Amino acid sequence: MKRRTFGKVVAGAMIAAAADLTGPAWAAGGTLKVCVSSNINTLDPAKTKIGEEYIVNFLIFSGLTELQNDGQLKPDLAESWTRTDDLKTWTFVLRNGVKWHHGRELDAEDVLATVKRILDPATASVARVNFQLIDRMEAVDPRTVRFTLKAAYAGFADLFSDRQARIVPRDKIDTLTSEPIGTGPFRFKSFKPGDRIELVKNPDYFIPAMPKLDGVVLRIIPESAGQVAALASGDVDMVWNIPFESIPQLKTNAAVTLDAVPTSTWDGIIMNSALEPFTDPKVRLAVSLAIDKAALVEFALNGFGTPTHTMIPPSHAFYNKDLKIAPDLARARALLAETKYPKGFNITIHVPAGRPTRERTGTAVREMLKPLGINVEVQRVPWDKFITDIEGKAAFFVDGFYSRPTIDTSVYPFYHSAGSWNTQLWHYKNAEMDRVLDAARASGSVEEQTKLYKEMQALSLNDPPGIVPYVINHVNAYRKAVKGFRSSPMMWLDLREVSLG
Amino acid sequence: MLTYIARRVVSIGTILVVLSVLIFAITQILPGNVARVIAGQFATPDMVAAIEAKLGLHDPFYVQYGRWAAGILQGDLGNSLIMERPIGPVLSEALYNSALLAVTAFVMVTILGIGLGVLSAIRQNGPLDHGVSMFTFLGISVPEFFWGIVFILVFSRWLGWLPAGGIPDAGAGFATIASHVILPSITLAFALVAHVSRMTRSSMVDALRSQYVRFARAKGLSEQTVIWRHALPNALLPTITVLAIDVGWLIGGVVVTETVFAYPGLGRALIFAIERHDLPMIQASTLVIAAIYCCANLVADLLYAFFNPKIRYG
Repeated sequence: MKRRTFGKVVAGAMIAAAADLTGPAWAAGGTLKVCVSSNINTLDPAKTKIGEEYIVNFLIFSGLTELQNDGQLKPDLAESWTRTDDLKTWTFVLRNGVKWHHGRELDAEDVLATVKRILDPATASVARVNFQLIDRMEAVDPRTVRFTLKAAYAGFADLFSDRQARIVPRDKIDTLTSEPIGTGPFRFKSFKPGDRIELVKNPDYFIPAMPKLDGVVLRIIPESAGQVAALASGDVDMVWNIPFESIPQLKTNAAVTLDAVPTSTWDGIIMNSALEPFTDPKVRLAVSLAIDKAALVEFALNGFGTPTHTMIPPSHAFYNKDLKIAPDLARARALLAETKYPKGFNITIHVPAGRPTRERTGTAVREMLKPLGINVEVQRVPWDKFITDIEGKAAFFVDGFYSRPTIDTSVYPFYHSAGSWNTQLWHYKNAEMDRVLDAARASGSVEEQTKLYKEMQALSLNDPPGIVPYVINHVNAYRKAVKGFRSSPMMWLDLREVSLG
Repeated sequence: MLTYIARRVVSIGTILVVLSVLIFAITQILPGNVARVIAGQFATPDMVAAIEAKLGLHDPFYVQYGRWAAGILQGDLGNSLIMERPIGPVLSEALYNSALLAVTAFVMVTILGIGLGVLSAIRQNGPLDHGVSMFTFLGISVPEFFWGIVFILVFSRWLGWLPAGGIPDAGAGFATIASHVILPSITLAFALVAHVSRMTRSSMVDALRSQYVRFARAKGLSEQTVIWRHALPNALLPTITVLAIDVGWLIGGVVVTETVFAYPGLGRALIFAIERHDLPMIQASTLVIAAIYCCANLVADLLYAFFNPKIRYG
């Protein structure tokens, strides 16, 4: 009896709810709802570390320069820049009349303040290592900034297109995390940690007629079933970086478009040269020859990636097409026979929990090394423990990194023996590699750089610090009503030309 | 009675203090520290050191604890180290969402659980009893994330009746709020109903066999009166214990359901804080959950006295 009445009450409530389902109360047409999967921790551009945070800082802030989808650099806040022939002095001229969201005009002091705080260790910005080659910086006049570098660096202007280098207002630094003020196409409205962030159009954006949207809402939906359901029902208009496993469910949905773009985001099978058995280059070479990269793309990425030699993607002009990608078990066995471990060895491979592509790669590696007699045990490690105990410290693990704006910043920190992240990863030392990388970053000629980077890829295959099996595709799924959107190889969202039709 | 309540309140305070010290100690011992998390991948040692200095992590732990405790006593929950914003608003937002979910689920569990338990006891060993058993065991044996995803698939994707999760925007009407809360609440209720109904059922069976019930029937009272006014209040005592424990779980322990439904509650906030070693956030969240848990148990104990006149607290 009680149950029946209860049942009636529930049914009545559900019918009432279905009848009165309205959309979000505050948004009129033109607000794009995007769903992302991870919690956003910080709104301070210098401290951003994950893809979701990069999306926000691309919308609220601008950089001195901007990277286009084809990899070319374009002026953003800086309308032009010049450099001396020795590539050591760089002068940027700022656009006139750019307004911060709180009304003040952008000036050179803002740029200096931004770079200064990036260089401060207490800010803990990952861009700090990039800017440490600055010797002196000064505001020549309110619209001109000059940097003098300690060494020649061809890609200095590219550094400012990076995510953490977005320019922040010098008078609003204290409130950056609660009320971010930028110069970007959208203004901050509200942030509910764990739930959503709301942005509205910046009517004073310095590019006329942009943005077209009235606002953007980023909603955090961690579970892929929830994401797909929200997209299919129209609760959200776009799913950013949709997990590959969810794609088959949406392929047949006529209301949804899938847009895939290759990126230089890569996973790596890391062999720590400072620890046994990988102190011997022959062991590392043998292991790398046993890995079938094309199979890994199928297994770990469901086909949404491309095999590569290093994190220089196959779509890039510097990619070395002459080098082959194919496993060679016979040669691997022969090499292993010349080492201390002719019959193979036992080893553990560590994979970070919660990163499915890397977990799958670790499992596949186990199978691929079996024919060599190498017995691999796969161990999943929680992420916070992974970055403190495994990276740079364990012998064998799978790691992964986002695209960087330039080839030099993608490659140098890892492959150069003095590279800032070499010791946090694989402790690799190769004098030839050092020579090639130093020459490339000091070279102002694209032809010379192409030749040098192709050489670098050949070197990395003959004396591998690890295996970079693939670069990963970035796939966004969005409803047909979203117009004017293109996915970016840097995995951020450029929504300036997007409208809801 | 009042002295009893006063004594219990004092003991709740003591529990919370002890708990805060324990949490503090445990987070200190855990591998990894918040400075490394903030510094992220590829943190250089000087970066980590600079952050530690800024956060005062080099001070001896009793100094750090004292600093935090002094803040709490003044009503300042501190700042989240990772998000660099005051914890108070974040926590109260999460608590409000969790409370909404918990109250809805709790009402469902209470009504459904007690109702099903009484019915099963009355029709003991009949087909209804077995049916209820199977239903409740399904709820408790299959993990709630499975049912959560099933509900999303059925009600959100195929039928399109309800949103797939999340919370409604500010200023939404009652029906919209209800549409967001109902699926996660049903998922949670489904997981808990077995405990409550089985407990109620076995107590009811005992109660219905007792002397006083036979006497009441002999007196000529209607079966309804016998069941609801005489047997059930006595049978409810163990059930109240179970329900009080469920309150604590519903407030802070439903991380899985909150994740499946993208529902920003206290459980998810706590998990994020733990993953990132955000100590002030961990402390504040666990204190809130513990306080609610203790108060729920206090209410349960007082309800015993209400339902059973033989129990009196001096």
